[in-house]
Amino acid sequence: MWYRSASFILDKQQEENDAEGKPESRLLSTASPSSSMADTLQNPNPQISAYYQTRAAHHGVVTTDWLAQAQAAVGRDPDDGVSEISIISTDSGKQLSVIDEFNNWRKQPDLAEAVAAIRALAWVIRSSEATTMMELEIELKKASDSLKSWDTTSISLTAGCDLFMRYVTRTSALEYEDFNSAKSRLLERAEKFGEISYKARKIIAMLSQDFIFDGCTILVHGFSRVVLEVLKTASQSRKLFRVLCTEGRPDRTGLRLSNELAKLDVPVKLLIDSAVAYSMDEVDMIFVGADGVVESGGIINMMGTYQIALVAKSMNKPVYVAAESYKFARLYPLDQKDMVPALRPIDFGVPIPSKVEVETSARDYTPPQYLTLLFTDLGVLTPSVVSDELIQLYL
Amino acid sequence: MLEAFQESIKDYSTPPEKALIRDLTAKINCYVSFLIECRPLSISMGNAIRFLKTRIVKLPLTLSESEAKATLLSDIDRFINEKIILADKVIVRHAVTKIRDGDVLLTYGSSSAVEMICLHAHDIGKQFRVVVVDSRPKLEGRLLLHRLVRKGITCTYTHINAVSYIMHEVNRVFLGASSVLSNGTVYSRVGTACVAMVAHQFHVPVLICCEAYKFYERVQLDSICSNELGDPDAISKVPGRKEINYLDDWANRENLQLLNLIYDATPSDYVSMIITDYGMIPPTSVPVIVREYRKEHLWI
Repeated sequence: MWYRSASFILDKQQEENDAEGKPESRLLSTASPSSSMADTLQNPNPQISAYYQTRAAHHGVVTTDWLAQAQAAVGRDPDDGVSEISIISTDSGKQLSVIDEFNNWRKQPDLAEAVAAIRALAWVIRSSEATTMMELEIELKKASDSLKSWDTTSISLTAGCDLFMRYVTRTSALEYEDFNSAKSRLLERAEKFGEISYKARKIIAMLSQDFIFDGCTILVHGFSRVVLEVLKTASQSRKLFRVLCTEGRPDRTGLRLSNELAKLDVPVKLLIDSAVAYSMDEVDMIFVGADGVVESGGIINMMGTYQIALVAKSMNKPVYVAAESYKFARLYPLDQKDMVPALRPIDFGVPIPSKVEVETSARDYTPPQYLTLLFTDLGVLTPSVVSDELIQLYL
Repeated sequence: MLEAFQESIKDYSTPPEKALIRDLTAKINCYVSFLIECRPLSISMGNAIRFLKTRIVKLPLTLSESEAKATLLSDIDRFINEKIILADKVIVRHAVTKIRDGDVLLTYGSSSAVEMICLHAHDIGKQFRVVVVDSRPKLEGRLLLHRLVRKGITCTYTHINAVSYIMHEVNRVFLGASSVLSNGTVYSRVGTACVAMVAHQFHVPVLICCEAYKFYERVQLDSICSNELGDPDAISKVPGRKEINYLDDWANRENLQLLNLIYDATPSDYVSMIITDYGMIPPTSVPVIVREYRKEHLWI
């Protein structure tokens, strides 16, 4: 780490002490009790964020035919997966299969992370042998912890798990119900969650229609399914607008998004990431999605969002964020480096000497003062309201 | 103060033909006015007294005197334990997650919460350095400095005049608070606003550590209204330097007034985060905590 301090000599001494004394710290921890299972439960590649790998797999540039085939193939998978995995009944086996189940669901491109997590937890409930609410709660807690530790970088996964666990503890407080009805209620809720999430996108799209006027130019960064829904609804209600997409290296999200928008007959212009300030004059508003909305009202999103928000603020352009309410997380980053690092391999196309370091972080944090409004399924909110909602939710 | 009230309740006995509740409330009011005469109450003390009075009023009439006294004493104990001691533990737990290895922390004056955070972070093995900023006339930073150095934490000590010089080295600023008002303004020892302002200018995050019982429903826009005045002689005399005591006869001069303020108000724009026992919240969420928790839980 670079030290900017005038007392660099003192800091250097500390560095030497650190290099000798501190043990290596692993990013992930295993949840399984038995040591033999320890290896299999760990994320095989802790240096790479599984969340961003999946997103890249979803949004990588592919031809639409190939995508349709892949979707069809994946769509058949979860059903097969469930019948196989339900045979395993040992505890540590179950831990392993929660993660498998989750990964199966996560592969579907249209499914949100949190919904995949909740479906995996619903599977745990369905296949659990617990006879009391307390037992079930403990099982769920273990499953949720193992999911969270599997991928520590995914915020909507953590938020989705926490949300479901809160619902579980609230339900388990109703002691007078018999166990089976409580269990079925939980399952019902989990199924409904998928619908709620899908409906959330529709609600957000409806709310944002008032903000898109005829003849406006919208700048979009990153590939968010919510923002795509917003633009789809706007074009279907015959609004005239055009979209500027940033290229979104290294995931090439802009190319994917422009494919989708071209299908909707929306005029699209692609920009390289560096051309954002150059084109900011002709932009009327900026739409981004969010990987997570944090307690301060800021957002964590794909790398480049902070830059765009800064440029927009200095040129007085509004920045609108479209995010579902289950993405609200109890995190509070103070600066860019204050989050769990999420790294993605970047392919520059040419070999790079090993001495050269590459900044591989996949996301950045945009503080709330650069955001104008948040469109959520709870309504159109200002960034300071996020904390209110979180306090009420986790009361 | 609460422990003093506990003692007074223990020694209290109801005079004949008087109701416990009303008489005790009247006695408490006497004690409070005596305390106010000695020194104006701080906001947190005011909250605690209000809590005590509501507990007294809520006592069921059927209780005997000794039972009522025992209930009150246990209530006060619970308040002290939950709202102060345990709250401090929760605050420390949240705050040490924000300290990374190699950090340089800055603190101003002497806050018990910040001291606990530094000591705990040192105990769990984090490598960091502390800059203690101090100011006349109280020079409270020296006590904090003494305790930190004794524990083995690397410290730097400087006067508030040098805060803009040292700020570029600093990663985090931890400040304590006497109270946090409803609009997010932090009411704290005079000089805190200065430090927070400079930190904001240098884009250094400012973290306020404050227990939830110190939240107050008032809104204040500046530091002058409802402040406390300290002893003016304390600022006119510099101990140990007789040759610069030009202000010795300040009282005789008609056009000279010495102003020694004890508190100042830091606007919420300069505060990045408030760490309370309810978690880490942005300064705009203070009224939400007050609203959600005040009626039921804030004092009970």
